[in-house]
Amino acid sequence: MGRISVSSGNFSRSAWIDRILTNSSQFRFRASRAFALLAGVFALIFGLLLALLARDQQLVVEATDRLQQQTVPEIIRFQRLARNLEQLRQEGERIFAVNSPEARQQAVFVVTLVASHPSIIEHPQSAALARETERFLVEVNRQANENPAMLKDKYQDWVALASRLSLQVDDVAIQGINLTTADLTSVSRLMQTSRVKLIGALVLVGAFLLLLVFLLRKYLIRPLQKIDRQLSELSIERPEPEYPLTPITEIFSIEEASKRFHASLVENEHARHELEKLAHRDGLTGLINRRYFMLRAEAELLRAHRYERSVTVGMADLDFFKRINDTYGHAAGDVVLKTFAQMLLDSVRQTDLVCRYGGEEFAFVFPESTVEEARMLAERFRQRFSEYDIRLPDGGVVRITLSIGLADASRCPLEVALRHADDALYEAKHQGRNRVMIAAEDQPTSPV
Amino acid sequence: MLSRLITLCFALLFASGVAARDLQVALGAQDASQLDQRVEVNKAVVQPGSVSSFNEALAREICRRVGAHCVITPMRFAEILPGVEAGQFEMGFGNFLRSPDREKRVAFSEAIWRSSSRLVAKPQVAERLAQRIKQEVTLDSLRQVRVACIEGSMQHAYLRRVADEQALTLVPVKTMTDLLVALRENKADFTLEPMLSAYVKIAKEAPGSFEFVGPPVADRGLGGTVHIAIPKQQEDVLLIVNQAIAAMRTDGTYQRIVRQFFPFSMD
Repeated sequence: MGRISVSSGNFSRSAWIDRILTNSSQFRFRASRAFALLAGVFALIFGLLLALLARDQQLVVEATDRLQQQTVPEIIRFQRLARNLEQLRQEGERIFAVNSPEARQQAVFVVTLVASHPSIIEHPQSAALARETERFLVEVNRQANENPAMLKDKYQDWVALASRLSLQVDDVAIQGINLTTADLTSVSRLMQTSRVKLIGALVLVGAFLLLLVFLLRKYLIRPLQKIDRQLSELSIERPEPEYPLTPITEIFSIEEASKRFHASLVENEHARHELEKLAHRDGLTGLINRRYFMLRAEAELLRAHRYERSVTVGMADLDFFKRINDTYGHAAGDVVLKTFAQMLLDSVRQTDLVCRYGGEEFAFVFPESTVEEARMLAERFRQRFSEYDIRLPDGGVVRITLSIGLADASRCPLEVALRHADDALYEAKHQGRNRVMIAAEDQPTSPV
Repeated sequence: MLSRLITLCFALLFASGVAARDLQVALGAQDASQLDQRVEVNKAVVQPGSVSSFNEALAREICRRVGAHCVITPMRFAEILPGVEAGQFEMGFGNFLRSPDREKRVAFSEAIWRSSSRLVAKPQVAERLAQRIKQEVTLDSLRQVRVACIEGSMQHAYLRRVADEQALTLVPVKTMTDLLVALRENKADFTLEPMLSAYVKIAKEAPGSFEFVGPPVADRGLGGTVHIAIPKQQEDVLLIVNQAIAAMRTDGTYQRIVRQFFPFSMD
């Protein structure tokens, strides 16, 4: 159920997009602008990542510089501070160890000197402890000068103070090391961040290239391939090329151009047909003219001779047609000719050739027909035409007959066969008109 | 990196010039007996605990590294800076703290050690003042006493600034020895002096004669880094001296010199 629903939703969304693309040209855009926009977005994001990487690199450089210029000297100062604190403790031990007041005084002065050194003063915890140590030892020295035996009594207090000094030495040393740790941790974190950003930049480049290839393929290459195929197969026999909807203006223009080109081909072909028709047809009757008839008839006879098939040619002439012209005028004569031609077209087979041979004279070719078969057809037509009332422009009605001469053309050239048919026609006229005569080759025509 | 390269080029460029001549070195005298005794390099005697000897050792090492022939002249503190300023001396070792006024007059090398100042007095004098002012005697709590200091020193400059406010009577003297003399002869109640110099003198006195009073002070211009004074116009000397100091610190020579004179780190 869920799958059907999802599929339906996708289809609806796709159909909606198609409808938008179909109905609105606003959703069609130039490829150059689209790819420029894409490249711009990519450049912006990539540039941003590069800027972030450059910033990280700058921070690393600053951190390492700080490590070199500040932290390391600071560590050295911490080491020396620790060294001085340790010296302070050693001098204190000396006060309790020596017997001479001069030696104790010397040690006290060193204690005072060390406790007064800026390296200790600027470190609050060390300064406080050093000051306390100095006061303690100065007081011990003063009392020891009066009563040396009291040194033993104060020694435990000194041990506690010396222990604190030792701890302070350790603390100071660790603080110095921690300075390095902080800087190195900062550098390490920055490098890790940079690595992530670098990977991100590479992924972005890869994704952009994939997207670019995908878009190029989908919106440029495949449509162009489709257009190429359609143009290769373009012909008037095939329908107008069809293309899927495209949002790219340039592709759309090419597709539309190919459609216009196809339409132009069809139009030209149609025009060519029309011109050909005009060139091959008789203007009044619509039948093919004599020249075209001769070409077609020649081809038909060649085919029949090659395959030894029957073929018959005929000549027909309207009887007393001049009289129609003289009596009713040429317009009436034209109506008679057109009526005759139309009835003729309605009566002959599709494969039969009929032409206006000249004036009121007409020629026929009956393929795949013996003379007898042609005679039957001609006779039936002659009968039908002679009984047909032809309505003239002035409303009058006339009837007109025709004479037909037929000749077998299956064994002789067209000109010979037509001459035989013409002879038969002459004979039909001679014998009183309104009849069909068949010409026998090398024999006199026989009336039907 | 670029600045270091330029500095190195300058150093190499000027090294031959510095080496080719004698360098006059002014050294702060511990007492009057040292005055007007010119000391040839490599002929001095090491005296542990002596700031003057320590400075002399530093001067010797710098001269050795520079390759110059140095002549060291012990002088009163107040005369060193004018001498360097006038170009009579290429280096002045007077335990000089930097101050804006001094920077206008001479150039200063990189730091050679760090100093602080402290009050010194006879124990009974300090105790009497503590009872009178009913608080610990410090530089700030000094009232209505005579304070001796080296003339022209930063201590002198500071005391002049606060003398009226704290009703102090200043007793300027010429040398470190004069400071103890002033205390001993009761011409001053307290002295305000650099710790290192004071230590050398007091350490030689009988126990209980003098003591340091109050906490040490490294701010207010009374402590900080100590430098060698160099004539402003002789930048080549400044460059080469700084190179020598850096090299001494890097190869440990500086620390070995310190150990010859003092049992603790000077930085």
